[in-house]
Order: sequence, then C-alpha cells, then structure tokens
Amino acid sequence: MPDFEVRISGSGGQGILLAGRILADALGHEALNVAQSQSYEPTSRGGLSRADLVASDARVDYPLASDLDYLVILDDIAATASNDLLRQDSLVVVDSPLAELCELNGHEVRYLPISETARALGDLRSTNMVALGALTSLAGFCSQDKLLAAVTRVAPAKLHAAATRAILKGYAITEF
Amino acid sequence: MPDSAPTKTVNLPGNHACALGAIAAGCRFYAGYPITPSSEVAERMSVELPRVDGVFIQMEDEVASMGAILGASMGGMKVMTATSGPGFSLKQENIGYAAGAEIPCVIVNVMRGGPSTGLPTRPAQADVMQARWGTHGDHPIVVITPDSVPEIYAQTIRAFNLSEQLRVPVVMLYDEALGHLIEQVSLSGSGDIEIANRKWAADPKPEFQPYASGDDLIPEMVRPGDGFRTHTTGLTHAENGFPTQDPELVDQYMRRILDKLEIHNALIESFEAIDTEDADYLVVAFGITARAARRAIKQAREQGVRVGMFRPITLWPFPVAAFESIVGGKHGVLIAEMNAGQLITEIERYRPAGCRVDGLNRIDGETITPRQILNSLRELADNE
Repeated sequence: MPDFEVRISGSGGQGILLAGRILADALGHEALNVAQSQSYEPTSRGGLSRADLVASDARVDYPLASDLDYLVILDDIAATASNDLLRQDSLVVVDSPLAELCELNGHEVRYLPISETARALGDLRSTNMVALGALTSLAGFCSQDKLLAAVTRVAPAKLHAAATRAILKGYAITEF
Repeated sequence: MPDSAPTKTVNLPGNHACALGAIAAGCRFYAGYPITPSSEVAERMSVELPRVDGVFIQMEDEVASMGAILGASMGGMKVMTATSGPGFSLKQENIGYAAGAEIPCVIVNVMRGGPSTGLPTRPAQADVMQARWGTHGDHPIVVITPDSVPEIYAQTIRAFNLSEQLRVPVVMLYDEALGHLIEQVSLSGSGDIEIANRKWAADPKPEFQPYASGDDLIPEMVRPGDGFRTHTTGLTHAENGFPTQDPELVDQYMRRILDKLEIHNALIESFEAIDTEDADYLVVAFGITARAARRAIKQAREQGVRVGMFRPITLWPFPVAAFESIVGGKHGVLIAEMNAGQLITEIERYRPAGCRVDGLNRIDGETITPRQILNSLRELADNE
C-alpha cells in the first residue's frame, strides 16, 4: 500500500482520538510507520475534533495531513471543515444524517447510518467504533482481526466488548 | 528501569518522548510550572520520576522552577525543566546564572506563537534567537532542535550528556506540532544507552580551586558533603570561585567559558545532510519544517530541480564548518522557518559569493507545508 492519509473528524467527546489511536496501533502492527496528530485547541467537548494519520511503509516524511486519502465525518461541525485537504479520488465516509450539510460533489462519498447503528446498539457513544469498522472495511487497511486486536491493546478494558460489537456492526453496514 | 530492560517500540507524543529520554539519561529532578504546549513533559515526569526515586516539584512560577533545578544540579542531580515562550523569557536570568556558574541543566522550550502570551496552542519557530541570546552577556549555551518524535527521545538523552560533560545549559528547542505529534519510538534498553556524567572533584585539599580546569577547560564539580571549600556566584569569578574584577582574571574566565564549547565542537556539532552532493540548491530547515522539506525536495527532484537539505540538529553553536563545506558551489539556498526571518541571518553570514539566499517565512500559527517549500524552490530556481 502506498503512503496514505486518514482523517476522522467529528466533535469533542465523540471518541475521535480513541478511534485514531486504535487505527494507528493496528497499522503499526502491519509494519507501517504511522504519524498521528490531532486537533489541539482551547475547546474540547462540542468543538471540532479530528484525528489524523499519515502512514507509510518507509519513513513518514511530512507527518501532518495535507492531502487526505480517507476522511470520516461524524458531526455537523466537521461537515465542511476538511474540504481543503480533499483530493478528487479521496474516499469520504459520512454519517448519513449529515449528508445535506456536506459539500462533497465530485468526491467518492459513502453515506452510512453510523450514528443510527450506534443508537440501535444502545449507546450513541459507540458511533466512533462503528465508523472505525466501516472505514476499515471500505479502505482495507488491515484485517478485521488485527483491528480488533488493536482495540484490546489501546482501549480501556471496560470498553472492549462494546467496541468490538460496534466495529463489527460498522463492517456490516458497508455490505449493502 | 532494570538493567535488562529490552528495546521496545511504542507510540508516543513528542513531549512524552522528551520525558522518557530525560529519565533514560538519568534525570532525577524536575521542577516546572506547566505551560501550553509543553505541559505533557511535566505530566509525564510527574508519573515517571517517583518510579525511579526521583523528585518532581510543581513550582509556584517559571522563575522558581529554573532556580530549583539549578539548586538540585549543584546538589548533584541531573535536572530538567520544560516551558514555552512566555516561561522561557522568565527563565532567562537563571539560564544566564547556569551559563556563568557552569551548572549543568536541560531546559525544554516547546515553541508556540509569540510575542507575549501569543498563540498558546499553535506552533512557531520564533525563539531561534532567544534560545541563543535570551540571557544577557557573552555566554555559552547549546541548543538542540529535533525533527521527529524518535529524535526528541534520542536528543534529550544527548542534551543531558552534553550538559553534564561541558557544564553548560542545554536547550531542547522544538515546536508545538512536534510536541503533540505521535510517532513510533524505539525505547532503548538501558544497557544500550550511552550516558555521560559530569566530572566530580576528588581528594579535597586546602588549596583546591573550584574553577580551575585542565586543557579541556571544564572544571570538576564539587559534590556537597565531600569536604571541599567552594563558592558559587553569578559574579565574574576567579579560579577560587570568588568575585573578581581583575582584568586579567576576568579575561581568563570569559575566554575559558566561551572557548570550552569551541574546543569541544566535535562533540557538540550535529546536522543532517540529505541529497546535498549533486544538488544545485539547498533547503535549510529544522523541526517540523524540516519534515515538510523532506517531502518537498523529493518532489522537486521529480520535477527536475536538484535540491538537497541541510538540517542543523545542533542549532547553536550553528554547525558552521559543516554548512560551509556543503553550501560551496550551490546556486541558491532557501531557508524555511516559522518566524519572520531569524536563522536566515546566520545563513547569510556564511553564504558563498554568488549564492542567492531566499527566505520562506510563515507567522500565522500554521506549519509550513511541503507545497509551499516546493513553490519557493521553483521560484528560487526560476529567478536564479
């Protein structure tokens, strides 16, 4: 896989950074070099939150996101915030209720019922993990087993079962 | 850390890598006043130091933090503090004391936008000159500027070694973007790390002179309780440690503390040269900007412009000899820095005749991108 850049974006409190850390750990175990950066602003809950990954099988040269290959949008505050970094062939995964807020003409976009799936699981807070499952399914970064193994290494133990369930649902909603 | 600790690879933010590098180097005393964007250095030290029987103190302010580490260093410990621009300003008086009284210490400055309180959460590289000349008077200081998280870890260890060996304050200078960037770091097994320690005076005799040195120009340090008579002062002092205004003794002291860096330059100097041999043009960059330049020089070469990069790792003293040997014959140099033009003044001093020097400067709280460097390189090549 050539070098690629991923951004997971939403609002503070959605677990955006945890999703990024799990994916980075999984990619690291695929023998990739991964640089992670994140929003660092005076706001937290409710403000724009983003987790960026730059992955390479060589040394990562510029470690900050500049041309996104993959973008996930999980909150209205993030709907258009990353448009400047998109390329024509970027894959964008959007929580479907946000479709009208996004301006993604010309890009490859998948609108998926991410938050709805999390709600059906009984916990809207698992939106991040549903999104992570869906993104990994579509992008094929690594196997499902490796992603789930990363969950057990990175996430707190009390979240393992719920996160695993949500990730598997995320895979499932891409299969329509 | 047990002696058998194996090398392991972990994902770490730059500021945590700095803290772990300090612990690996033998730092056992940290005093600081948390300030964005350096606070994670203090946070991690507060966790790590108790595990190795070290001391962590959250001090009442920046000035006291600097004073506390100097006292602990004089007491025999390896010490560190971390700050950002506003705190770095406040620490300057005591940094001068460390330079003048030759007290080993490591000061981390995670740069944010300035002046004044400026942009607490945004990166900048605008403390280049302050790191060299922030405190008054001619003084020795070493400034190290890493460009990746693994390098923050390795160079923090080296900062301690240099500080201990040379009895000089060493500044670790990096920007907010690197402080919060998370990358994979191989933490060395403790047996694999090269550790240097200060020279301790032995054999306390009545005629002992605490600031006398041999050919290496570095006096031995006195360990409290070892029975030496000694005196430490910020006033210009003779070899006996007491203040003097005797011009001959003042000159001797001043030249020794400045010359000690010069004669140990081989130990201090460090830089990286990438694709410089066949290059027509050079980019000079450090810190996060050097990472952008790494990509830009590759892209420029794909477009037929032969570019290399000179990256100072030791920023001060600037690696003059290395730069001069590399810049010879180049048509142009681009200095990319997140300030209004600070390092460029140093580059202009050493440019060969006929070599064009351009600056690429960003002062809006954002990082310089590979595309900006590429565009400036094309401009340099087109107009040269």
